[in-house]
Amino acid sequence: MASQRSTRPRLAAAAALALSTVLVLSACSSSGGGGGEGGTAAKVSREAPTSQYQGTVLKKNFEKPDLQLADTSGQPYDLKAKTAGKTVLLFFGYTSCPDVCPTTMGDIGVALSKLPAEERQKFDVVFVSTDPQRDTPQVLRTWLDSMGKDFIGLTGDLEKVKAAAKPLGILVEDPVVNANGSVTSTHGAQVLAFLPTDDKAHLLYMAGTSVETYRHDLELLAKGVAV
Amino acid sequence: MSRSFRRTALIGSGLAAVLTAGTVVVACQSSDGSAAAPRLSVADPYIPLPATPGGMGAGYLTVRNEGGADRLLKVTSPAAASVTMHRSTDSSMEEVTALEVPAHGTLDLARGGTHLMIMDWAKPPALGEELELDLQFAKAGTVVVKIPVKPLTYRPGD
Repeated sequence: MASQRSTRPRLAAAAALALSTVLVLSACSSSGGGGGEGGTAAKVSREAPTSQYQGTVLKKNFEKPDLQLADTSGQPYDLKAKTAGKTVLLFFGYTSCPDVCPTTMGDIGVALSKLPAEERQKFDVVFVSTDPQRDTPQVLRTWLDSMGKDFIGLTGDLEKVKAAAKPLGILVEDPVVNANGSVTSTHGAQVLAFLPTDDKAHLLYMAGTSVETYRHDLELLAKGVAV
Repeated sequence: MSRSFRRTALIGSGLAAVLTAGTVVVACQSSDGSAAAPRLSVADPYIPLPATPGGMGAGYLTVRNEGGADRLLKVTSPAAASVTMHRSTDSSMEEVTALEVPAHGTLDLARGGTHLMIMDWAKPPALGEELELDLQFAKAGTVVVKIPVKPLTYRPGD
């Protein structure tokens, strides 16, 4: 009994010590990159590539997919040929998506609207439908106009869309029609940025990226700052 | 005599009420929230203007709870025939049947996470309108919220 009692405070103290160690460690890792002195965290940050961009810098630079679909006027659109030499933001989604798709495209629209007109023109924002059966060219145009009048919308054969998305690491599955008539499409919600210099993807933005991060990075992209 | 008696009686009953309230508060804290009554309020509700006029919409809000745990079971609206609760995942979204409102905590319906999916509008929502949502909780019953239609890219605090 007595020995048990005496070990408890010791255990508690050890636990408290462990906790404070964890806290210190997490503080270290969160300040990584800020140039701490000594320690492994600082070493890692020194070795890490320094990028001014806030988006995820891709180690593997994906080729722009070879994709021919219809644009929002119903005309054939060859993604590679039409967007060569432009900075391209590419997103796969569908118009009856209530949350992530309009939020992502809307936020990109707001970020772009903060750039001067001549810088905005350097970008092609491309939305590829993962629900082509319902996303006709007209449906896409109406939906996209709410976020960017010059946003490019592509729709057509879903098999082509899947084939284009797969090598980019973006999952696209057949849409499912629910009992209440709504549609659920499974699609990777990341945005890829292709550079005008090599037409390859260099940056990735996850769903939930803030308008401020987009504005920050689009400004750098417009100025041609190296990734 | 009778007046002073009445006054004393009133004071007595007042004290009893205060005491009861005190007991309830103590019960709230001691029962870990589960048995206590929830005390709910709704903050920052909004519906972003749907990208397609009258098309698929979303609803976002925060339920604050200063009492015991509750669950949001269902949401209906006179402004739309279909309101369902969904959670966005990495690459899709799934319908949820109930959402926990933790004791002395919050339930956040926010962009990119748990949200309301609203369709089959009675009429296409327009900027500046306030639409009614009826939130049905397991314990607190129905909480009626007037929820403003905001610009598509609105965030609370804008």
